[in-house]
Amino acid sequence: MSDTRERRSIANALLRFLPSAAVFVAGLVAWELWVNVRDVPSYLYPSPSDIGGELRDEGLSLAVDDLRWTMIEAVLGFLLGSGAAMFAAVVFVHAKFLERVLFPWAIVLQTVPIVAVAPLLTIWFGFTLTPKVLIAALICFFPVLVNTTKGLRSISTQAVELMSILSASKWSIFWRVRIPSSLPYVFAGLKVASSLSVIGAIVAEFTGADRGIGFVIIQASYRLDTRLMFAGIALSSAAGVLFFNVIGALERLALRWPDARLDR
Amino acid sequence: MTNSGGITIDGVGMQFDGRQGVTALDGIDLDISAGEFVTLVGPSGCGKSTLLRIVSGLLEPTSGRVDVSGKTPNQARRDVDFGFVFQEPALFPWLRVLGNVLLPGRVLGRRNPNKGPESAEIARELLRDVGLEGFENHYPGQISGGMQQRVALARALSYGPKILLMDEPFGALDEFTRDRLNLQLLDVCNKAGSTVLFVTHSIQEAIFLADRVVVLSPRPGSIARIADVPWPKPRALEIRYEPEFAALTGELRGLLTVEDEVESAMNQP
Repeated sequence: MSDTRERRSIANALLRFLPSAAVFVAGLVAWELWVNVRDVPSYLYPSPSDIGGELRDEGLSLAVDDLRWTMIEAVLGFLLGSGAAMFAAVVFVHAKFLERVLFPWAIVLQTVPIVAVAPLLTIWFGFTLTPKVLIAALICFFPVLVNTTKGLRSISTQAVELMSILSASKWSIFWRVRIPSSLPYVFAGLKVASSLSVIGAIVAEFTGADRGIGFVIIQASYRLDTRLMFAGIALSSAAGVLFFNVIGALERLALRWPDARLDR
Repeated sequence: MTNSGGITIDGVGMQFDGRQGVTALDGIDLDISAGEFVTLVGPSGCGKSTLLRIVSGLLEPTSGRVDVSGKTPNQARRDVDFGFVFQEPALFPWLRVLGNVLLPGRVLGRRNPNKGPESAEIARELLRDVGLEGFENHYPGQISGGMQQRVALARALSYGPKILLMDEPFGALDEFTRDRLNLQLLDVCNKAGSTVLFVTHSIQEAIFLADRVVVLSPRPGSIARIADVPWPKPRALEIRYEPEFAALTGELRGLLTVEDEVESAMNQP
């Protein structure tokens, strides 16, 4: 019984994605036709088939030599930034005073253009992993902080009263009520952060790196190698989507109760 | 322990400091003996829920005192003498039905009188008593509001509290569900021998459940009348059609209506 239901839900999912896939394919076809019919210079506007060829020839080595590093930076930055944000959120929820003092600075941190901070970090740390991880962490911090704080606060007064009737300790309330009720919010923040972390890593690579997709794109731009640029863009987007979906899968594993996920 | 499970409310008043300094309760005196079922009935804003929260130690009264089996409400709360059923079921959506009923035991840990595998057996039995056998592994989001409230009742009884406090628990339910739950409640409480303080705004419900009905009038909340309910327990829903039941309902309703008229007259400019 669950087998047929599973099959039906897969069919439904395919059906749901069909329109978006159709739009994507139509866009590619229009692009290909436009490049061929108008005879635009292919070094400026490579056609999708050109880019496809580039990916076929270079894709594997790009993925292994460069995308791998970008993703290592992104994932490490994601873990660091989200971890720090969750810790800060727990502190904020338990110490209103600290929140009042520090939250404005979190906003300032969020409004600082990372494109400007990245070169600074590169000057300080050189062509190492560190500045990339830090930039990725910086970009992940705010969405996770805001969502986790909101989630930890999302408990109802009756839940708190119930725990007082049981004369539960602060720790017990935190562990049994605050943490589980915050999870839907935490995951909403983590999903945003996961896709941002890849962007952060690439921006950091622009300002000084000797490997990584950002490095490849910036090098290719100096040589007007637009095919390689597009190949890099396609690969890094695909990696971002993959990372997002990994977090989405973890979310489905963690939030098994009905209507738990916020974005459904 | 002569009065274990009994409650003495002595001259309790409650004033909230807001801009107008609202007096929610004024000079409440009430003695409830162990095992008694007392309902508090009255219109919105008469301080019924406030009184429940004072008895359970969630709120501190501004005057008067409450004695729960020889202890202060806070001591009694620390000894987990109370079970509380709220207006909303307030179940944890991430726990299954059985998990929600087992939650108090997990929170109480060593303080839980029903320990070990025994507690799971008690939880299952309570779920059976409220008619939820077979729903142990459902999530709250998968069952109806009435069923959720029954889970909340089982949860409140799971650790054997002496006193059950209920704050309009069936107010949001339809009449048929409410009738069924009233019967189950009487049944379960009778079995557990708990003292019950039950808040409602339905006069019929108040009479049907109670050994004694306390009618509260609003602004400030004070006791207008304490009425004994003569029918022996267990009761059948049919007693509500007896003329004496109708007479008592009418009498209590009259008490509240007169209050309302006085009030609206006073509010005229």
